[in-house]
Amino acid sequence: MSDFRQAFREGGLILIVASVLGFSYTATMEKGFFAKRSEVTVLSETSSAEASAADAPLPGPKMIHLPEAQQLRNSGVALFIDSRHEFDYKLGHIAGAINIPLKDFDARVGELGGYPKDKPIVVYCDGAECNSSIEFAAKLFGSGFSNVRIFFGGWREWTAGNLPTEQEAQ
Amino acid sequence: MKSLLANDYVSVAVRVFIGFVFIFASIDKAADPEAFAGSINNYRLLGEDLTTLAATILPWVELLCGIAVIAGVFMRGSALLLTSLLVIFTAAIVSALIRGLDISCGCFTQDPEAGKIGWTKFAENLILIALTTFLFYSTSVKFTLQKYLSERANLDTAGHR
Repeated sequence: MSDFRQAFREGGLILIVASVLGFSYTATMEKGFFAKRSEVTVLSETSSAEASAADAPLPGPKMIHLPEAQQLRNSGVALFIDSRHEFDYKLGHIAGAINIPLKDFDARVGELGGYPKDKPIVVYCDGAECNSSIEFAAKLFGSGFSNVRIFFGGWREWTAGNLPTEQEAQ
Repeated sequence: MKSLLANDYVSVAVRVFIGFVFIFASIDKAADPEAFAGSINNYRLLGEDLTTLAATILPWVELLCGIAVIAGVFMRGSALLLTSLLVIFTAAIVSALIRGLDISCGCFTQDPEAGKIGWTKFAENLILIALTTFLFYSTSVKFTLQKYLSERANLDTAGHR
């Protein structure tokens, strides 16, 4: 029992020192709770007027919903990127979308070299349970692509709407 | 079992191994708490504030415990903290795997590889839990700062008499 009492005392002290160090470091480096503002400004709702101006540069990645995603795909002005695993992509994806899994971003962002930096790109993943599209969009924006949109409803919302999909031959 | 817990060489080997594992694991996380918060967030178990709090403190807990275990000071407290953390991490991994969550990318995926990575991590954690539990009950004090300090204190007391 005294083993545990001593351990709790020591553990408590370590926790206190770790908290002091953690908060001091993040305060000094302006990270975590002390971060000024996230680099990713996910703009909220999109009005239909804004949606029509697909080529307008954006101050950060922008969340879009199914109607705008559908409009961008139908007009053919946007490149759709599926940020899920290759396995999921092969099972089915939004028609015309290319696949770059989030984990391969650094290795494969070069493949977008020929794509104009100011042209619209729509990133999506699985849906509301998935955040790789947000992380992918942030990285894309950080790489200089100024017109990045996140279709957060993703694959689930797209298929629920019975919209065009493609499947890789097995 | 008692002789194993008292074995100096086993204890030193486990201390050095566990110490380095946690020191190496903590450095990246401590330096970039936002990336670590992203990893925690992938498990979708904590809210935003709790995730940031965990990302602020946990890497430093791991770093301090790693140093303490190697130095041989506050060993019981460090072993208790590390075991508790490992149990929590393991529970989070299992819950993510049961929910079909791919921990590496934060997506639901049907990729069979994702599951494999998860169960390997689970097995690794079980081994680490066994080792930190061993450290908690270990009675060896060979090559520990604690022993050195208590010996010096005894010498000082004897000198003052």
